[in-house]
Amino acid sequence: MFDGLLDGYTRSILIFAGINVVAAYSFYVPFKTGQVSLGQAGFMAVGAYTAAIMTQKFGLPFWAGFLVGGFIAGIVGVVVGFPALRIKGIYLLLLTLGFSEIVQVIALSWDYVGGAQGFRQIAFNRYTLDYLVVLIPLLIWFFARLERSSLGRAMDSIHQDETAAEVMGIDVVRTKLFAFGLGAMIAGFAGALYAHHATFMDSSTFNIMMGVEILMFVVVGGGSTYWGPLLGALFLTLLPEFLRTLREWLELVPVSWMNFFPANRVYDFLHEFLDFENAKRLIVYGIILIVMMILRPDGMLTRDQLRRFSLPRLGRRHG
Amino acid sequence: MIYQQVINGLMLGASYSLVAIGYTLIFGVLGLLYFAHGEVFMVGAFVGLYLVLYAHANIYVALLGAMVACAALGVAAVYVAVRPVAKDRPLAPLISTIGLTIILQNLAVYIFGGQQVAFPETIKQTLYTIGPITISSVQLFILGVAVGLMVLLWLFIERTKIGRAIRATAENHETAALLGVDVNKVILVTFMIGSGIAGIAGVLDGIKNSGVSPFMGLSAAVKGLIVMLLGGLGNVFGAMIAGLMLGMIEILSAAYIGTTERDLFSFMILILILIYRPTGLFGTRTADER
Repeated sequence: MFDGLLDGYTRSILIFAGINVVAAYSFYVPFKTGQVSLGQAGFMAVGAYTAAIMTQKFGLPFWAGFLVGGFIAGIVGVVVGFPALRIKGIYLLLLTLGFSEIVQVIALSWDYVGGAQGFRQIAFNRYTLDYLVVLIPLLIWFFARLERSSLGRAMDSIHQDETAAEVMGIDVVRTKLFAFGLGAMIAGFAGALYAHHATFMDSSTFNIMMGVEILMFVVVGGGSTYWGPLLGALFLTLLPEFLRTLREWLELVPVSWMNFFPANRVYDFLHEFLDFENAKRLIVYGIILIVMMILRPDGMLTRDQLRRFSLPRLGRRHG
Repeated sequence: MIYQQVINGLMLGASYSLVAIGYTLIFGVLGLLYFAHGEVFMVGAFVGLYLVLYAHANIYVALLGAMVACAALGVAAVYVAVRPVAKDRPLAPLISTIGLTIILQNLAVYIFGGQQVAFPETIKQTLYTIGPITISSVQLFILGVAVGLMVLLWLFIERTKIGRAIRATAENHETAALLGVDVNKVILVTFMIGSGIAGIAGVLDGIKNSGVSPFMGLSAAVKGLIVMLLGGLGNVFGAMIAGLMLGMIEILSAAYIGTTERDLFSFMILILILIYRPTGLFGTRTADER
């Protein structure tokens, strides 16, 4: 799809943005029940390695690897979700962080998947963008439905007060496990897509910082509405690209226009500032994160805001 | 052989303890998982390195300089990422300090490059043999500084007025404030002490591995978190003992089982503790009771 429309660079940017959106949704599901996971990168790794084993070692087509990867990640999610039931807050953060590290150690020491050399020559999937174009609207549709379903409301109420939710007759254990497993499955899909687009991965690909970045997408975008993860992931992934484009435009300005004192300094400064290699990009991320937490601790989009601006839905008005 | 491994374990554990002490002090006073602590450790190592390389300072000046710089960094962290952030959202300060982590790590990559920088030899290498154990002067120095620091800190917390204020604040913010403790000052002092100790630990780590890298903070942070949990959140004495224990466990498992399994072991311990004994080995309360 879009073969003629997009050049390779834009295509690759869009693919990584899309994978980040999927990863952000994987964090959003357990977060909806109040579970904060730093381990989503670990589930991505499970999905990525499983899918790559399926396509490379068993010769299955990508779609099969993709489904198996997501499924296995989901099962691992439920398994990790069990101990996660008993603990919350800082303990859950530490548990998911520990899980993510364990996955890394296993990937590093398991020679079947390349060990320290990394998993090489994974079959390239040229339809990654098409998968994303289908998967992301599907996720948004699903979360829109979830928001208005009894299950979604149960998840919200667990987020707000677990004991109260339990007293109301909500099956807290099942709902939380479901949320954790579903989140892990979505992360597995993201991982499978990543592996077959990058065609190489090693144990450090899905590291703790990746888990932190995924958390960041949702927190910056806004965790109280299902549009937040989309917005946050797109914003943070595309921001450096946008600035890079600005720089290219800046370079189009003829040098003769800029060849006198104040303008040339301004030009040099902007030129330097808009050059976004990785370290600088991450520094800007960090600053955004702190400023966000000071000014808008609930993220860019909140549910109340959406409610205020949304049109009344057919047949029923908002209270 | 086993004695030698015990010494190595103590060496490794001492640096874990020093990092974990800062974590646990800050957690005790604020209930905050202070993510940037590992990066403070890394900054300390670089400050020490630059003092040795460019100011030709001796190792004591380097340690002192790293401590002062990191203490200042700790204070800055409070003003930038802790105090202005909304108190009623438990996630907000955690995320703002994650932001600080990312900034510090990548500033270091930006300034120093992504490579490991060699730490010059500052202590003359001599080997001492006592019975079955061989210990070098460097190891002796690191152990001595670490243990000395821990004893000093212990005295500070148990014997001084401000130490008592820290303990009172950790017990209960409101009550401490009612009794005349300046809670904001206590928070500042806690960050200063924790960060200063992390700075020293960073320099010691640089000496031990004869190298410093912008990425050394992350693994120190993760190990520090495990140790904090093992010792019980907010329990300073627990963090000291648990650090030595974890160092010992890692060295012994690396020596007798295998080096890749070493990290697996520490994370398994983390998860088992989380599931079966979230109060830690010596802890008496959990975060929920705060």
